[in-house]
Amino acid sequence: MKPVWSRVSKEIEGELAGTNTSCPYHPSHFRNQECTFCYCPFYPCEDPDLGEVAESPRLGRIWDCTHCNFIHRKDVASYVHGRLRASGISGPGDPALEELFRETKTKFHRKGKAVMILGATSDAGKSVIATAICRILNDRGYSVTPFKSQNMSLNSRVTHKGHEISMIQDLQARAAGVSRPSFRINPILMKPKGDGMSQVVLEGVPAGDYSSADYYSEFVPGPGTDALKRSIDFLQSRYDFVVMEGAGSPAEINIYDSDIANMRAAKAADADCILVVNVEWGGSYAYAVGTLDLLHPEDRRRVKAIILNNLRGNVSGMRAAAEELEEMTGVPVMGIVPHLDFDLPKEDSESFRGVKSVGKGRTVVAVPKFPRISNFTDLDPLLHEDVTLRFVSSPEEMEGAAAVVLPGTKSTTSDLEWLRRTGIAGRILSLKGEVPIMGICGGYQMMGRILRDPFGTEGEPGDTEGLGLFDMETEWPGSGKKTERFGGTYIPTGDPISGYEIHSGMSSSSETPMIKTRTGTEGSIREDDMLFGTYVHGIFDKPGFRRHFLSKAGCALSVEIVDHDDHVENNIDKLAHGVMEAVDAELFDRIFMEGRL
Amino acid sequence: MRIMFLGTSSNSGKTTVAAMMCRYAAINGISVAPFKASNLSSSWHITGSGSPIGIGQAFQAVASGIAPDDDMNPILLRPEKEGVVRYLKGSPCAISDDAAFSEVLASFDRIAGKYDLVVCEGSGSPVELNLKGRDIANMRMVRERGIPSVIVGDIERGGVFAAIYGTWKLIPEEDRRYLRGFVINRFRGDISVLYPGIEELESITGMRCFGVIPYADLRVPEEDTSVSEVSCREGLVSLDELLSACRDSVDLDGMLRISGT
Ligand code: SF4
Repeated sequence: MKPVWSRVSKEIEGELAGTNTSCPYHPSHFRNQECTFCYCPFYPCEDPDLGEVAESPRLGRIWDCTHCNFIHRKDVASYVHGRLRASGISGPGDPALEELFRETKTKFHRKGKAVMILGATSDAGKSVIATAICRILNDRGYSVTPFKSQNMSLNSRVTHKGHEISMIQDLQARAAGVSRPSFRINPILMKPKGDGMSQVVLEGVPAGDYSSADYYSEFVPGPGTDALKRSIDFLQSRYDFVVMEGAGSPAEINIYDSDIANMRAAKAADADCILVVNVEWGGSYAYAVGTLDLLHPEDRRRVKAIILNNLRGNVSGMRAAAEELEEMTGVPVMGIVPHLDFDLPKEDSESFRGVKSVGKGRTVVAVPKFPRISNFTDLDPLLHEDVTLRFVSSPEEMEGAAAVVLPGTKSTTSDLEWLRRTGIAGRILSLKGEVPIMGICGGYQMMGRILRDPFGTEGEPGDTEGLGLFDMETEWPGSGKKTERFGGTYIPTGDPISGYEIHSGMSSSSETPMIKTRTGTEGSIREDDMLFGTYVHGIFDKPGFRRHFLSKAGCALSVEIVDHDDHVENNIDKLAHGVMEAVDAELFDRIFMEGRL
Repeated sequence: MRIMFLGTSSNSGKTTVAAMMCRYAAINGISVAPFKASNLSSSWHITGSGSPIGIGQAFQAVASGIAPDDDMNPILLRPEKEGVVRYLKGSPCAISDDAAFSEVLASFDRIAGKYDLVVCEGSGSPVELNLKGRDIANMRMVRERGIPSVIVGDIERGGVFAAIYGTWKLIPEEDRRYLRGFVINRFRGDISVLYPGIEELESITGMRCFGVIPYADLRVPEEDTSVSEVSCREGLVSLDELLSACRDSVDLDGMLRISGT
């Protein structure tokens, strides 16, 4: 008997475990999972609908069950538990076990239900509604995954396996309770570099730069379409629900056939669709009617409901109009969702554009508003303290700043040039030793002596002089990119730090390191000058270091200590609750639950 | 001669397009004035006679080369503590929609009597199902005075074809004859990618596309602070820049023609 089967035998002898939230590994797969079989009796089933072959650095080729949820379904676990108790199966190799697996799979395994959230405009609130729906379904105990085939964003995250995906799908995965999201939830990520080009990240790895024309003529018909199909198949065979998000409007008739983010994805997954319309700017009925009418008839048939979103006013005033809309389109209005008050990381650099400051705290943290600013959600946790984030484009705006944070950027050297041209660089240097100055990723690279980009990864090939705050050199080797999750402790205080790294420039610093990891160190620090630099995104998420940094800025720390993860978690619940309150529960069940147990 | 710019939503860029039209007509020696029946705003411009009018109309007047006048925007809706209050030429008035509408028509007629071309701007979207029958600033105006109209859609938020099509579709069939065309506003990139969509929209609605306006960070006074004539004049610089950027992509002469000029 293999050692694992001895564990399985115990699981069979024991009672059904339910959801074991006290386990340190919980949830191993998804929130609210069934934990009876921590060790799967079928391992290794070698069924590609459930697990996959993977290379492990330690063990070589292994059967990888990271994304399998099958044995953690309540119905499956209870059935298998009962059958194993009754059968006296001896363990792996027993043909009866294989037979039981086949039987269980035939009885329970089916394609996940796919529902796509479409938007009449890019700011319709699709991703917010999708986030809420992920949580609502997961609360009911289902395994749920988000999906967006193609996302354009400069905010990204790194999966446990080191793949890069968009920030918003990572957030949705959290709402869905997925503990280790796969890159398949966002197989195509476009990161605009300016000058009309985008870096395309395909299935978690950089796949070259494309102009918009080449993207549609070359990328979409080939690798894009393949990745879309692979991802959808993968997710649908593993999750009860696939909550898909469209991109922009599905009714862009000038690119209808080459749009793989909307109806083609819906078709590939045979998804029902919900159309979300933002009512804030008015014209929402025209947007709704126009969107539906411009869809091809076979696509329009997929649209099962409309959500009128973001109403700042009286719901009753819109009821009659909503009924008229239903009559006109034949599509029921599932709900009129009011403008909800919640605080979650936002995707829209659009709305960021006009913003001068966020927060109302007394400690002003100045953040240079790089033209190519990226991963600016790193700054959100600072707002748990008495802080105002001020986005500055001139040295004058830095007046009164108690700290400076240089955020990430998609293009370090050209944003560094911008920093000099605006005069902000000079002002930062004059603040050295006066206020804490922190660089994250691209901002950290700028703090060094020199930035060498011989292959022109960042812009024009050549060397750029850095701010010289650290004795550090950064070089872009021309290929490769580090995308990794990160964990360590802040050396001066021992506070834990977690996050992720995404960068292609590599730095060598002769400064004192800032963070200790299991295998080495990271970052640079000069405590006397209050200079901090790190590649770690998410550096402020944990309260320890965040509060340490802000105390250097003279910030009066709040009594309540907020962990950013808990904050996000609470706000997901708040959002899900607000959306569920506003939608017609019966219609919701008809769309999502039909044919479910 | 008259023309009306209707929006697919508020903020779609009607004010800017109307200002461009005013400016272009004035440059071409046409006597022109702006008009908007009613404005929802908490800020305004005070005319020479002491009445508040919408900032957009003040700016358009300056673009037309004339002084702002109360008749250019007879009704202001101001959000106040008790809700939205209707002001008629500066004084709060509790009259019926119909009575207000006759005032609006009287103002329009006075403007039309003084100038050859009246460039009108609608308010919000003309097809709000929840305002049906109460809307005096859009189709009621168009119908009553037979004003050829152009729909302005904002492409920045996406869904512009759906928005223009949906607006056209929701306008009652008997009124669609006033809808002569559409304009796509705030576009970035290579216009040629839009052509297939524009052609399809032209063929299903019978409206023609009068052009695509590039995205501009226009420092035309926004409708959120009180604004003087001087600052309106400053706004003309960026308006002129936008006009010259649109020389090839917007058919202003075509729009003058449908206005009856
Ligand atoms: S893939 Fe799933 S069913 Fe197969 S062995 Fe792994 S956990 Fe068990």
